[in-house]
Amino acid sequence: MNARVVTSDVLLGLLPIAFLIALWQALVSFGYAPVTLLPPPGLVFGRLLQQLLTDTFRQEIAATLFRLFAGFSIAVVLGVAIGLAAAVSPAINAVVRPIVRVLAPLPKVALYPALLLLVGFGHESKIMLVAADALFPILLSTYFGASTVEQKLIWSAMAAGTPPRGILFKVVLPAAAPSVLTGCRIGLVISCIVVFLAEMITSTDGLGHVLVTAARTFQAVDMFVPLITISLLGLILNGLLEALRSYLLRGFPEV
Amino acid sequence: MNVMPSRSDLQAQASPKPAAAMIEIDHVSQVFQTSSGQDHLALSDISLSIEDGAFVSILGPSGCGKSTLLYIVGGFVQPTRGSARMKGKAIAGPGPDRGPVFQEFALFPWKSVLGNVMYGPRQQGVKHSEAEAQSRALIEMVGLKGFEDFYPKELSGGMKQRVALARTLAYHPEVLLMDEPFGALDAHTRTRLQNDLLSIWERDRKTVLFVTHSVEEAVFLSDRVVMMSRSPGRIRQIIDIDLPRPRRRTELLLDPRYQKCVVDIERMFDDGGEAGLRS
Amino acid sequence: MISGETALKRAAPFLACLGLLALWQVASLVLKNDSFPTALEALRAIPSILGDKEALINFAASLRRMATGFGLAVVVSIPLGLMMGRSRLVASFFNPLLMVIYPVPKAALMPIIMLWLGVGDIAKTLVIFLGVSLPVIYHSFQGAKAVEEKMLWSGAAMGLLAPQRLIRIVFPAALPEILTGCRTGLVLALITMITSEMIARQSGAGNILFNALDMGQYDTVFAMIIIVGAMGIGFDAVFERIRARLVRWSEPQFDIPLSFS
Repeated sequence: MNARVVTSDVLLGLLPIAFLIALWQALVSFGYAPVTLLPPPGLVFGRLLQQLLTDTFRQEIAATLFRLFAGFSIAVVLGVAIGLAAAVSPAINAVVRPIVRVLAPLPKVALYPALLLLVGFGHESKIMLVAADALFPILLSTYFGASTVEQKLIWSAMAAGTPPRGILFKVVLPAAAPSVLTGCRIGLVISCIVVFLAEMITSTDGLGHVLVTAARTFQAVDMFVPLITISLLGLILNGLLEALRSYLLRGFPEV
Repeated sequence: MNVMPSRSDLQAQASPKPAAAMIEIDHVSQVFQTSSGQDHLALSDISLSIEDGAFVSILGPSGCGKSTLLYIVGGFVQPTRGSARMKGKAIAGPGPDRGPVFQEFALFPWKSVLGNVMYGPRQQGVKHSEAEAQSRALIEMVGLKGFEDFYPKELSGGMKQRVALARTLAYHPEVLLMDEPFGALDAHTRTRLQNDLLSIWERDRKTVLFVTHSVEEAVFLSDRVVMMSRSPGRIRQIIDIDLPRPRRRTELLLDPRYQKCVVDIERMFDDGGEAGLRS
Repeated sequence: MISGETALKRAAPFLACLGLLALWQVASLVLKNDSFPTALEALRAIPSILGDKEALINFAASLRRMATGFGLAVVVSIPLGLMMGRSRLVASFFNPLLMVIYPVPKAALMPIIMLWLGVGDIAKTLVIFLGVSLPVIYHSFQGAKAVEEKMLWSGAAMGLLAPQRLIRIVFPAALPEILTGCRTGLVLALITMITSEMIARQSGAGNILFNALDMGQYDTVFAMIIIVGAMGIGFDAVFERIRARLVRWSEPQFDIPLSFS
């Protein structure tokens, strides 16, 4: 991927954001929204920069990021492992399939109170909720990718001398990589959303908590700041994952 | 040129020869389950003996089970009845002694050309530097020098098949199993690759089992052509092709012996009530 | 006569449920934690919840909001998505907006929306509406885009005008994809509903959950989880049935699967 393509893609991605900010500013400037309810973007971004310089806000971001990464990582490890296992082993498949069918449509956020009761109100409950929510897209994508690997690829590898045990990591996993990474992308977005929501529901720190605190004191500007922050974090993380994905999948034809 | 239509000659061919046989296929039948649960007889009582260094084509219309037969020799599929043996030993599974080249190329998309070709040697424990050197030589031999760092998606069909061939040759199989390798390519690329395949084969004369539905291709390339009938697949005739080697396409096309071979084989298919080989 | 194998396959989800409940039972007995009731205790608490008038009013409110939000979202999003799929102009107009809204957790907008619209049904319904719209728009867009040009040309040759073609060709052709989007939307509707009620506690199932938590009625908490879980599974299963019926003619879809269908 040459530099020129990357920059034009980035610019294209920034366009909608710029558009939205312009729209936002317009709404305020033309008086469609009172400043107390919809502060102008300048004010919000100013406050955001201000907050970024404070230790307390940075600690909030750190707390949120920590839970996000921890939960996401658990989801990736479990999701890929179970997805692969279910794709190659009929026995595991038979067990995993019905369980996933039952658990997948269940709103995991409903489990949150149970998690709070079981592991307390600290990091663990949020990490577990993030992991639970991000797990299924990753698991299903991995399973799908692994079970649709072209048979001839496996045969070619076997003929070249790969022992049956080696096929999983040398052929199935690389061939399933596009699907796995797509699932990870979805899982990452879900992680961002869930960690924020969990912190909003009950927490003593983190970006979600910041928003709820600001809401209680009717500080509109302070409410927008964490929201923008998590959105920016989401965009940055997504961008990083995209870059990783492009690199890892540089040989694959565009899907 | 020698055509052998008699049944007794066929039987003689079918009974296993001592030591000289590289591949022996012994009364192999294959039954598949269709999606509706019924049994489908794909191959019926195939017996065939292939000696070392022979270039043998399996020729037949689509659905005659010729690819299945190849997969059985490759060890990818276990025969329902009968057995296949290589140098006397039963074929239990795939292995580097029988290298496949598939119509769909089946290149590893996550590896470059060099990475694909190096795969086999690396699997066999060859050191990285040595494997790389061998692979680069092979890549040059198939005419793709300069493309080592390209990915399969950046190559044309003909180029991909060259890589596939290099990849298989890299682990030095004694037998090459080629499943309509040029079927997905345009006519021009196909003829070029046929010529290139022959010149590569001339170097060390491996045993080749070549599946095709093109009469001309079979006659041009092979020492022997095994004609198969439509399902259930059976061997109809085995024809020796006594044309001299090395074979040059431009000369051969004008050679009356070649032309007679092709016409005779096509007639045999027509006489058998087949709707022609253009399936 | 159904073979043993197919019977097992069909019973598998139920067996999985039983298995999970059994696991729960064992775990709670082992852990002996006061705040972790056994599965049986939780199950026993369900009838009292369902019999309680207040709880039923809460449930009704939840379901009403969910239905309204979902219904409105579907009615607005499908035409929008279809039009975006067929007209580059419409697509490039709405795309940027949607791309920015996508990563924002809709339920997180609750406090802000509440600031604007006050506490109450409208705020929660709006959030559900937003949550459902995005997947439905996206899938309608994808489905419409994938409709073969030649089909539309045939329609035009038959004398159909553009709006007619949209309704009579694009919509049915894109229906499988649209319904996949609706299925995602349904799941999101339930999730958004619960979450918004957990954040802005005032009425609804999420409210019952956290009230029980605050009051230490742990049986009720877990019982509610079972109920909400059952709702989620139930809605999804019913919808999947309907979806399969409506698009019997279509090829199997291989989008990122929501579950093993």
